[in-house]
Amino acid sequence: MIAFCGLSSNLDQHLLQAALPLLQSGKVDALEWSFDTLYNHQDIPDWFVELLRTFGNEGRLVGHGVYYSLFSAKFTADQKNWLTHLGRMCTAFRFDHITEHFGFMTGRNFHEGAPLSVPFNKTTLAIGQDRLKRMSAVCQCPVGIENLAYAYSPDDVSRHGDFLEKLVAPVNGFIILDLHNVYCQAHNFDLDPKQLIDQFPLQLVREIHLSGGSWESSEIDPGRQIRRDTHDDGLPSEIFDLLSYATEKCPSLKFIMLEQIGISLYSEEKRFQYQKDFEHIRTIVQNPGPNPKAFVEPNFLPGNNIALSTPVEDEALFRQQRFLAEILENAGDYNDAKKLLEIKMSNTDWQVEHWQPHMLETAIAIAQKWKQGFNAQPH
Amino acid sequence: MKISKSILHAMLIAVTTGAIVSCEKPRAEDVSKPGVTSPKGQSNTDQGVPLPGGCPACGMG
Repeated sequence: MIAFCGLSSNLDQHLLQAALPLLQSGKVDALEWSFDTLYNHQDIPDWFVELLRTFGNEGRLVGHGVYYSLFSAKFTADQKNWLTHLGRMCTAFRFDHITEHFGFMTGRNFHEGAPLSVPFNKTTLAIGQDRLKRMSAVCQCPVGIENLAYAYSPDDVSRHGDFLEKLVAPVNGFIILDLHNVYCQAHNFDLDPKQLIDQFPLQLVREIHLSGGSWESSEIDPGRQIRRDTHDDGLPSEIFDLLSYATEKCPSLKFIMLEQIGISLYSEEKRFQYQKDFEHIRTIVQNPGPNPKAFVEPNFLPGNNIALSTPVEDEALFRQQRFLAEILENAGDYNDAKKLLEIKMSNTDWQVEHWQPHMLETAIAIAQKWKQGFNAQPH
Repeated sequence: MKISKSILHAMLIAVTTGAIVSCEKPRAEDVSKPGVTSPKGQSNTDQGVPLPGGCPACGMG
């Protein structure tokens, strides 16, 4: 089977304008919808509901959550509400699978903040598994987690795939392999992206994400460019190469999704590039190399043996997450943040002593950018 | 995948006019209840629902 090539879509003027010719041509095999991002907008038009249902009824609609905050050390009322909303969405639409992101949200309030990674230890594993089980129990379809673009250190990068595999095991879950996230990590830690791909449990990859991003100059390390996963540009040529590489190695791959934010599709030229990127993806997928892995479709269904008890929580980890979020969101500069981290979080599993300076600088930028959620972003 | 002409036509009108939100619309929380719409005759004052720039989700946004 050839994987379905689809678009990450939502109620956005420019994004839909860019997607329309592709939808009209019948070339879009599948849609991905971030069902929890319309919290500010109570109304969705009938035609969009019908569009989602059209894909859903053919098993070509997948749901991609943003705000669950999988690794928050306390199970909050917001997470309960998120699960209730997920349940409603799964009643209204037939999703082939539901996915979320790795990390915990820095924001004190829901829909504010950005996800950051966590130490890969028994406590975080238990919390993540617990939250995934709750997702799985609600949606009754395969659930998966996307690899994170951010990492504190090269050690985090090398252990991410193994941790993801353990994380999804109790729900028989799968992984989204975001190739631009891999590209970011490869660039930011001077690693080979193909070797990084090989470190993931590729038999568990059911979906691939493709996007572009941007470069940011480091102030503390002049001359260094940090790759950010901002989804605001076309795909770099290296991503197409990584797609060819990954599709041959992922036997369970079912969906390949192009992601780009609407605000970056403001001109005809930009929208044309988006359409060209999609056509390029299709060409690669429909013309596999000489040795593609035979497609096998594991059901990735959770089974009936998932027991839910009291939510797993950890007070010490929660305090650390709050410390970290407050430091990153409020630090005046890199040195300020570094000093506070050394005082408050030295000799913990966070291993702040090993964080790369340019990645701490990036974490500050991300946390401060998303401190007030979408409301503070340019429209 | 083939999409019905009526959906594509509605989408075309929406993106052309900038009116992403229609007059008769189910609420996001109510789409599990087919048929629930806003009162008929309500004027359409919404001029699109552009999602703001960026997305925090992937951790490097």
